[in-house]
Amino acid sequence: MFTFILRRLGLLIPTFFGITLLTFGLIRMIPGDPVEVMMGERSLDPQMHAEALHRLGLDKPLYAQYFDYLSNLARGDLGQSLVTRENVWAEFTTLFPATLELALCAMLFASVVGLLAGVLAAIKRGSLFDHGVMGISLTGFSMPIFWWGLVLIMFFSVSLGWTPVSGRLDLMFDIPPDTGFMLIDAWRAEAADPEYNAGAFKDALMHLILPSIVLGTIPLAVIARMTRSSMLEVMQEDYVRTARAKGLSPARVIFVHTLRNALIPVLTVMGLQVGVLMGGAVLTETIFSWPGIGKWLIDAIGRRDYPVVQNGILIVATLVILTNFIVDILYGIANPRIRHAK
Amino acid sequence: MSLLEIKNLSVQFGRKDAPFNAVEGLDLTVNEGELVGIVGESGSGKSVTMMAMMGLLEGQGRIVADKLSFDGKDLLTISARERRKIVGKDIAMIFQDPMTSLNPSYTVGYQIMEVLKVHQGLRGAALKARALELMQMVEIPAAESRLSAYPHQLSGGMSQRVVIAMAIACKPKLLIADEPTTALDVTIQAQIMELLVSLQKSQNMALIMITHDLAVIAEVAQRVAVMYAGQVVEMGAVPGLFRQPVHPYTEALLSSIPEHSKGASRLSTLPGIVPGQYDRPAGCLLSPRCPYVQPNCRQDRPALSPHGEGAYRCHYPLLNKETAR
Amino acid sequence: MTQANSALQATADDVAVSYPSPLKEFWQGFSFNKGAVAGMLFMLVVFFAAIFAPWVAPYSPIEQFRDHLLTPPAWLEGGSSAYLLGTDELGRDILSRLIHGARLSLFIGVSSVLMSLIPGIALGLVAAFFPRVAGPAIMRLMDVMMALPALLLAVAIVAILGPGLINTMIAIAVVALPGYVRLTRASALTELNRDYVTASRVAGAGKLRLMFVTVLPNCMAPLIVHATMSFSSAILEAAALGFLGLGVQPPTPEWGTMLASARDYIERAWWVVTMPGLTILFSVLAINLMGDGLRDALDPKLKRAA
Repeated sequence: MFTFILRRLGLLIPTFFGITLLTFGLIRMIPGDPVEVMMGERSLDPQMHAEALHRLGLDKPLYAQYFDYLSNLARGDLGQSLVTRENVWAEFTTLFPATLELALCAMLFASVVGLLAGVLAAIKRGSLFDHGVMGISLTGFSMPIFWWGLVLIMFFSVSLGWTPVSGRLDLMFDIPPDTGFMLIDAWRAEAADPEYNAGAFKDALMHLILPSIVLGTIPLAVIARMTRSSMLEVMQEDYVRTARAKGLSPARVIFVHTLRNALIPVLTVMGLQVGVLMGGAVLTETIFSWPGIGKWLIDAIGRRDYPVVQNGILIVATLVILTNFIVDILYGIANPRIRHAK
Repeated sequence: MSLLEIKNLSVQFGRKDAPFNAVEGLDLTVNEGELVGIVGESGSGKSVTMMAMMGLLEGQGRIVADKLSFDGKDLLTISARERRKIVGKDIAMIFQDPMTSLNPSYTVGYQIMEVLKVHQGLRGAALKARALELMQMVEIPAAESRLSAYPHQLSGGMSQRVVIAMAIACKPKLLIADEPTTALDVTIQAQIMELLVSLQKSQNMALIMITHDLAVIAEVAQRVAVMYAGQVVEMGAVPGLFRQPVHPYTEALLSSIPEHSKGASRLSTLPGIVPGQYDRPAGCLLSPRCPYVQPNCRQDRPALSPHGEGAYRCHYPLLNKETAR
Repeated sequence: MTQANSALQATADDVAVSYPSPLKEFWQGFSFNKGAVAGMLFMLVVFFAAIFAPWVAPYSPIEQFRDHLLTPPAWLEGGSSAYLLGTDELGRDILSRLIHGARLSLFIGVSSVLMSLIPGIALGLVAAFFPRVAGPAIMRLMDVMMALPALLLAVAIVAILGPGLINTMIAIAVVALPGYVRLTRASALTELNRDYVTASRVAGAGKLRLMFVTVLPNCMAPLIVHATMSFSSAILEAAALGFLGLGVQPPTPEWGTMLASARDYIERAWWVVTMPGLTILFSVLAINLMGDGLRDALDPKLKRAA
């Protein structure tokens, strides 16, 4: 198991350096003079221009610039936002819990509903329910989620008035961001001062529902389809026949002998959804004005805040490869054949 | 009273209006402690019969029979729950490929203990002791440490021993071995076969041995049923049936064994293949391949006729003819 | 021996074996899937509308009817049969905009698929045929690209190149590239182990011939299916970029861009929001249905597994 982790780690490192090269190159690919781009369109006198170039280290050769970039990263310096003058890492850490909270809720929704629907559809193969699940999941898979968000807002928020339109919490609440997870913060604030913060937790929850559904739609469709086909495949296996020949109950055959093996590919697919979630977060957060990193990056692109764009992307990409790494490890735990492979 | 009694069993697949009979009009009885062989080419319905009897076809095939009883219980009308109390406990089955018959996600010990837990309610130390005992019964070396091995860490022969241990865990009255050695190395085959036969004797189980290895059957079985395209074409006690086959198909099978062809310049074979779903002849199922075929063989399907202790299904049985051996 | 021959003869006479042409066989497999046929019919209509947009659409997509702002669809109260699907906030006919938008979406889809398919296949084959240096290098590069969420990478590329039609296509093509490379490499590697490739190599075929004539045709089935699927995601991504204001710029009638400006009217005029979204959904769904049908028809192995 240990060597297995080491081997995967070995693959991770070149990928990480590749990503730093990419984010480094990204900024250099912007057409035009980087100082002008970064300092705005104001005309600078040549001396200030040269100073700025020097200060930013842009007068050095490219390899030296890349080396500077790496050594800054190694020191944990991800630069400053041009707009807010805030440290990029500090901005990221304040905003990330919002995205994480949303992504976790979306994934919870997608996994629970997707696994259940997929397993039931596989058991009742060919039934009306099966066809329904397949049809709905293909529709979900084809969904333009930015539009889906608008439709849900139009229906549940505007017409029915059940859920709030945007944000994480109603403005009448003032809750200190202790953990950054609004559900937890609101819960604690309400527990501490039940009168002043009455209904804060419920409000936070209501704010989460629509964005989670929107963000979870595509992963839900993927998980349901994958679970179904994986279940059907495993149901054909000889060892499932053996399990039935042992006189085990159908529930035991399905949940102990089939699902466990069928979950292995589903788990991988769920891991790959992290990337989809981060992409979806960009759209979902834009629609629901959710103050997370998706919206942060889009706003930064709109404001040409290049340090934020550059290192924000670096952080997100690193997150994605780290999660995929963890999924790989989990995959090894779930599948003894892989764990023992030399 | 016989342990297992099957009368006129048919298993149909496919659409209702155009069914395909994988098994047709099959009769079979097995007595307690008896070793019965079923032989036939691939696709002759040997496995399907047994799967149907155990209720393992899962709604894919339609099962029709005049009688299907085991140990006095009617398997046709029994509820699924009642059937599961018998299957795995009193009737157990061993499948062809041991490497795929074990669940890769669980240890060998877990899979053996699962049967004991479900059917005998064993727990704790008693459970582990019994599992160990079973592993030793099937002659697995280092049984204790092997309990925590995963199937992929075992060889094919070892896996088949585990499968056998699992099958005999609850001291079944009837064990069905479905080509238990075909997927194994030649050197291992004899060992596994020996193990099965000795277990059959020591546990006093009835054993149905499905195989296409006639030599093995001739050696160990008391009775044998020869199947062809979903039908039993000949049935009889062992030395007799092999010495004096009545059905042309049995004769052909026997003469395709190299030992039987000593002196002949060329190994005798039966041309053609078992008819499939779409090319079943109207008359005798063997008629396109039978060397003795007569015109009416192509039109009328023969019924099973009794013959001594056994029976045959042929219009022109080889009753007074010197056989080709 | 003669007996065996006559038996073979007999079976050959009994069953007149005729092999259907590959195209017919494909169509039989494809048309068995009703959803795939429905998807294909829908897409034929969309393609027809897109090609003949100026003649099919009732109005110009940018013509503003100032007297008819936010007219509801024809079947609603206050709707007018002159504007079947209603008008938007500037009084433009939504149906006409959707029809002209189809041109753009399909154009972006087709070109970006071609722009990633061709280099993707080439890189994938190189990666499979040169496993020492080029292969790992290409695959690591693809790993890097895969590490970035597709939409985020597309957004970043557009942010750097600037918004617009061409840059949208480039961004979508770049994002789709790793999928093609990995798929081509994987299927080429499987094929490389087959005996027919060895036979061809022994017969003296050069590397290029092996790559493109011997191996590539046998990798096409999964690639075609993947291309269909990436065609639908290209349409989705183009619309998402448009929605974020980074794609094709207004007043060009792009489906996603139409939605971006419609956001402000969700309380007053649902059709402004609903129509472009439904068009995107139905088109993408239709293509994905076709993709499922193609997979069933082209890849019997996958069909049996599913």
